Amino acid sequence: MLKIYLFLLLISFQTAYAQPNCNYYKLSGDQKKYEACKAAEKREGHYQFSWAYQKALDEALAIDSTFSYAYSAKSTAYLKSGDFVTWMELMNKAVEIAPADHLDYRGWCRFQFFRDYEGAIEDILWLKKLNKNHIGFSVNGDYHLDVALALCYKATNRTDEAIIILENKMKDPQFMTGLYDHLHLGVMYLEKGDYQKASEQFKMQEQKNDLAENRFYAAIASRLSDDEDSYLFHLKMAKKHYLNDQKMFDPYTEHIDKIFLSDITNEEQKNFKPDSLQTKGYVLRRQ
Amino acid sequence: MSVGRTKERSLSFSNKDFDMDRFFILLFFCGLLGCSSGQPPFRWVGDIDPNPKLDNPNFLLCHSENDVRQYFNMSKGLSFEGEKPAIIRYFEKNYKPVDVLESGWIRVRFIVNCKGQSGRFRMLESDENYKERPFDKKISNQIFTLTTQLSGWKILEEKSEAVDYYQYLLFKIKDGQIVKILP
Repeated sequence: MLKIYLFLLLISFQTAYAQPNCNYYKLSGDQKKYEACKAAEKREGHYQFSWAYQKALDEALAIDSTFSYAYSAKSTAYLKSGDFVTWMELMNKAVEIAPADHLDYRGWCRFQFFRDYEGAIEDILWLKKLNKNHIGFSVNGDYHLDVALALCYKATNRTDEAIIILENKMKDPQFMTGLYDHLHLGVMYLEKGDYQKASEQFKMQEQKNDLAENRFYAAIASRLSDDEDSYLFHLKMAKKHYLNDQKMFDPYTEHIDKIFLSDITNEEQKNFKPDSLQTKGYVLRRQ
Repeated sequence: MSVGRTKERSLSFSNKDFDMDRFFILLFFCGLLGCSSGQPPFRWVGDIDPNPKLDNPNFLLCHSENDVRQYFNMSKGLSFEGEKPAIIRYFEKNYKPVDVLESGWIRVRFIVNCKGQSGRFRMLESDENYKERPFDKKISNQIFTLTTQLSGWKILEEKSEAVDYYQYLLFKIKDGQIVKILP
């Protein structure tokens, strides 16, 4: 019975990636980690950037320098302030102590905040190996980490592999598609020049979470398929959604495949004139 | 051009410099100013204190030092006239790629005040493994100077009042070229 209880306690904090449940350590007989965990709880109610928050975690680490959660929790303010050197030093310590608990966060942030695609791929693949492919979601909850892995592959010119990952995820009846997954797969097809499949994904995105982005890329797919009515309709909808703030948004960074108002207005100025030199496929911007 | 660093080092004396008189003077002022363990050594992580040697004296905050927000606190994301593409175009137009095989990240952090002016620029540089190290100055000086000259930061408000806020630009550098600008 105790084993089941311990397991539930462990799961409760590993899945939430929040403050660990200190009782897990107590019931496991790890008194030092229990005390460190209780000391870390003193940060509650304080802002991540504040000295009081950081001090509580320093006190936890003074009690037990292997309490990996404290390094990770300390790192967040540094990440958000752009101090990637300190952030990485802290995360490296956390990962060194408990890789299975922290690779999801480090890998995701390397992708989201630094576009460190190779680093993120390394972390996510390591995590897949440790956790037998059960890798969970990004810390902001927007993406399954397999989808993040696929986006990293796309960014490193491995789009075919990225498409296979996403297609397999979507075939899996257990998988619930994320907020932007159909959009990303559609853009991958668009980049490969498969406009029919791209349009199908944009339609699915529209039904799940209709954004300026899926409308914009649907317009591009229509233009490249020589369908002017559909092009004009989707471009108009893209602008409408954009101006109504119905678009991809993250308070910290920008999403992959995000568009801006100037992308729409630039496209409007083309006025459905197919580029005679147009090669197969479409890429909005390289950067 | 002076380039500031974000990481503030604690006071330390070399053997040569150290003498007891200075130690006691320091101890006295610490007592006077509240350097004891009960006083926070910083307000918020990453605070940029004014430095007359580095900063434009005409750049002023509208509110107190304690009241500088982070750009994401107002849930508006990066707020710039013409949005992110305007920043990318600016650096594409003005940054001259350097033929040096150096890669990594350069971050320039600064404050945008309630009037939309920017100041207190500080730079942090690292290699591809996030280890702090300087880039060739032909790269870092360009990025730093261009960032200080960039105008178009939007005024952000909280409860209808314009705030001062921290912003940063992060440049992913590959072999002397900017390959990505974040956030």
